[in-house]
Amino acid sequence: MAGSIPGSDIAERAPAIARRAAPAPAPEQRWVVLRRAARTRLAPFGAAVLLAAVLVALGAPLLAPYDPLEQNLGQALARPGRAHLLGTDNVGRDVMSRVIWGTRVSLVAGFGSVAIAAVVGSLLGVLAGYAGGRADGLVMRAMDAVLSFPPLVLALALGAVLGAGLGGVLIALGVVYTPTFARLMRGQVLAIALREYVDAARALGAPGWRIAWHHVLPNAAPPIVVQASLSVAFAILAEASLSFLGLGIQPPGASWGSMINAGRGYLQQAPWIVFGPGAALFVTVVGLNFVGDAIRDALDPRLRG
Amino acid sequence: MERMAVSRRTFLRLCAVAGLAPGPADGADAPKTGGTLRVGFYIEAATMDPHLSGSKVDRQIYHNIYEPLVTLDTKLGIRPGLAESWQQPDSRTLIFNLRQGVKFHDGTDFNAEAARFNFNRMKTEPKSVRKGEVANIESVDVVDPHTIRINLKKPDAALLATLTDRAGMMISPKVVQDRGAELQRNAKGAGTGPFEFVEWIRDDHLLIKRNENYWNKQGGPYLDRVRYRPIPDDTVKLQSLQAGEIDVMDYVQPRDVAAVKADRNVVVVDVPSLADFAYQLNHMRPPFNVKALRQAVAYGLDLEQIVRGVWLNVGVPANGPVPPTSWAYDRTIPPIKRDLARAKAKLAEGGQPSGFAFTLTTNNIPINIQESEVIQAQLREAGITMKIKLVDSATLLSDGNSRNFDMISYQWSGRPDPDGNTYQFFKTTPGTSLNWSGISNPQIDTLLDRTREVANQAERKRLFGELTKILQEELPMIFIIHPVEPKAFSPRVQGYEPIPDGMMRFKNVWLR
Amino acid sequence: MGRLVLHRVAAIVPVLLLVTAGVFALLHLTPGDPIDAMMAESVDAEAKASLRQELGLDRPIHVQYATWMGRLLRGDLGHSIRNGEPVIENVTRRIRPSLELASLAMAVSLLVAFPVGIVSAIRRNTALDRAATSFALFGICMPNFLLALLLIFLFGVTLRWLPISGYTDPVEEPVAGLRSLVLPAVTLGLALAAVITRTLRSSMLEALAEDYVRTARAKGLSEWRVIRGHVLKNALIPVVTVLGLQLGTLIGGAVITEYVFALPGVGRLVVDAVFARDYPLVQGVILLIALGFILSNLLVDLLYGWIDPRIRYR
Repeated sequence: MAGSIPGSDIAERAPAIARRAAPAPAPEQRWVVLRRAARTRLAPFGAAVLLAAVLVALGAPLLAPYDPLEQNLGQALARPGRAHLLGTDNVGRDVMSRVIWGTRVSLVAGFGSVAIAAVVGSLLGVLAGYAGGRADGLVMRAMDAVLSFPPLVLALALGAVLGAGLGGVLIALGVVYTPTFARLMRGQVLAIALREYVDAARALGAPGWRIAWHHVLPNAAPPIVVQASLSVAFAILAEASLSFLGLGIQPPGASWGSMINAGRGYLQQAPWIVFGPGAALFVTVVGLNFVGDAIRDALDPRLRG
Repeated sequence: MERMAVSRRTFLRLCAVAGLAPGPADGADAPKTGGTLRVGFYIEAATMDPHLSGSKVDRQIYHNIYEPLVTLDTKLGIRPGLAESWQQPDSRTLIFNLRQGVKFHDGTDFNAEAARFNFNRMKTEPKSVRKGEVANIESVDVVDPHTIRINLKKPDAALLATLTDRAGMMISPKVVQDRGAELQRNAKGAGTGPFEFVEWIRDDHLLIKRNENYWNKQGGPYLDRVRYRPIPDDTVKLQSLQAGEIDVMDYVQPRDVAAVKADRNVVVVDVPSLADFAYQLNHMRPPFNVKALRQAVAYGLDLEQIVRGVWLNVGVPANGPVPPTSWAYDRTIPPIKRDLARAKAKLAEGGQPSGFAFTLTTNNIPINIQESEVIQAQLREAGITMKIKLVDSATLLSDGNSRNFDMISYQWSGRPDPDGNTYQFFKTTPGTSLNWSGISNPQIDTLLDRTREVANQAERKRLFGELTKILQEELPMIFIIHPVEPKAFSPRVQGYEPIPDGMMRFKNVWLR
Repeated sequence: MGRLVLHRVAAIVPVLLLVTAGVFALLHLTPGDPIDAMMAESVDAEAKASLRQELGLDRPIHVQYATWMGRLLRGDLGHSIRNGEPVIENVTRRIRPSLELASLAMAVSLLVAFPVGIVSAIRRNTALDRAATSFALFGICMPNFLLALLLIFLFGVTLRWLPISGYTDPVEEPVAGLRSLVLPAVTLGLALAAVITRTLRSSMLEALAEDYVRTARAKGLSEWRVIRGHVLKNALIPVVTVLGLQLGTLIGGAVITEYVFALPGVGRLVVDAVFARDYPLVQGVILLIALGFILSNLLVDLLYGWIDPRIRYR
């Protein structure tokens, strides 16, 4: 599970496996890539969604009409109306406000866990790619081991050990996604280290870290970015799945996932408790996917020209 | 949305008329034989051996295939079961006159030897979970083929009630000897009840069928078979019932009760339970080693609001561990009422005039989460900051047993004798025990011992009343609610008699 | 090629070792104890202690691990603490529903993904393509438990066409069995279909951009001939890859679907075992799932390397 769908990141990788033989774009082409990405049809929509999500998250105190924690048992399960645009939940809290505040949690869970995975995974991948030999073998075997674990179970077990809560979720999902980035980075390192100009730089006496900083990382960045943007969407979905099984954000704070889980029992009586956060979740994930797709499509050498 | 309000009076009245079964008003239908009753439980049974069983769901099945020496009636009175009558010549001796002509499903006779075998097994089998329950039994003598004498170490007024459940259930000695550990999975021939074990396909279903040679010729069993299925998800379970895939559901969540009662395809029976749901407070470390702070929390809670808003009045606020269904319930003792002024005074008395913070550990299920959120909001108004820590059940048990908590949720399914709701929780006990709070109060200890020694029910009731008052003062636990356990049925199901222990006995049930 | 195989097979062992050590460590770090969980309402310390001793739970961790590994090497996966049955039996009992669900889900996904993926690639950037892509996006972005609940509500409760929970053995009762699997298979299959649609679409687009396609078109072959003859075959390679990998993950990964539909599958088995701290069961099942995943990965990688000689990676 690199997402709620098992192996969906592998689906993206499959054509990429074929492309491993093809060179990554040289640095000066990066701007071309971005311009092309922007031109892709749905990219603006995706970017808009992402921007909106970030703004909502940042501006939650100003945007939310009510205190998301304020309970009003007399007003429980009220239908959406003028007073409460998305109705109220089972203890009378305003769903709209909770969805707005939940944006923070979901974005932090999504970006945070992917950031952890990207950083740790990239470091491991660079280590493996550069060191080669036994270190490479050890790191990659460890990554394989993590990947062979049923992801939900791994996250569950990690969460039980680390204790429930946002921190636990971040680490658990971070661990689950790390191998993807490690493999990706390692592949990039191997491909780029073969490049002539790297040889040239090395022949000129440039130290390893310099090569890494100036040549490897900038070229490795785009695929990592693509993978990251796709993973964020799945990480947000994954957090929702974890809440479903009983892990995750501590009450009374709510992420969209835990709201959907809590509202599950009221689906017949008060479906807005589920559909409010559900719609937010869906739109955000779709938007992030567009952004990732756009970048990925633009990077594809075959589709150029 | 219509909300059903269960006032305390209504609750008590429900207990009184708990004998009403779902069915047509004219009651002129005669029971029909035949059919398979499909029952949905939230979890699967763990074992078919009553002596090794620690789980509540197992009991549901046991009460249909095994029989205890004595049984409960709808008012929690003790009635003859496999024992026709009993006498207590002195406080340390209990004599049972066993029913004659009863055979186990494997054809062997039930007699005094078999009964003694069972008691010995409970006491000596290494994995026996009943040891604590029969700890007071010194020895069992066979007086004659149908009479046994139980010699007690100490007087134990609660023992009879304990024998209405697993500790009193009789297993065929021959099955135990022949089958050994396999009895846990295969109980063919092992019991004497109205139904016999047929098969258990794990994770799928457990099947029992009518015992054609059942000794009690009055009434049922009418059903051909009963099929138990584990359905872990409440929503799916309810939808299964509504869609007609199962006929019986063991528990309706409070949030679904109103909707289900409005659904004409389903019949809901409110079964007031023996349970008490509470929070244990850790007396062994700050902040709750200070009595005043415990009391501050108690005064900060609004039990009525919790019962109304979270439990939707499917239950009543609790005044202590003894449920309203019990003869020992003292209705003159009110539950602790919210009083913010007194809470603030208690805060000052406890040395924390500007409030304090603590962590509530609770189970990761929706209703617990909801309740804890409401409590958090209530305590905030009293100036107390509460953090919520959600854990799964295994972790909850571990934290509780190791006293790694400030305030921890505890839901006790309840026992027919009030002793079962009190003794092991409040008696001073060194080491690991169910006394998670660690309370050690000589007054309480004395009272608890007295309730076991005294045989007179009125006197015991008085003692439990005193106990309840002290518990409200010392607060090893803060009691929240005595829940009602609504059970839901398809309208085809007739003849169900709810008994407050929540066990579903299908002897006289038939399908229209 | 032979060396590649040998190398990859040899690499399995350290991975499995890491997996088992990881599971062991995680389980024993988690608070909670299987005996306490099993005997929650009892405080009989003696009974619990004797049970723990019998199961070897009172010995230090490394001893327990060594014992478990020792048994494993003799082919013994141990017994579940909760129900006393051999782990292997627990798994074989639950594997069939999982496999049936997985294959049905795959069938559903292929039925949907193939037409949609191919059409959207051929008619790129038309309304059809956009509709197909939207569908694919919907499938990927929709939380599967939400989808499951909606399907249950629609087909189970409102329309009452299909059973909403529980499992009927299709081998014994084919019709009822299939009906009990339809909703969960559709839930899983739709998400899977979305992934396969995208893969198929992008791999077809790549294949369509190949030089030999231009050549074939220039030669005057009809579009359909071109596709059928050349493009499809090459485009299928990544799809097969994905399918193979999915099967490996589907078995242990359908946890939520199994939960919501009350199916007695392997995914639910392992999660329940984690909640009950049933150490031997968790260890055994995760080992088997990991092994299955690794083997299917290996198979796919080897197949891939064999099919396309251009792709040989270290």
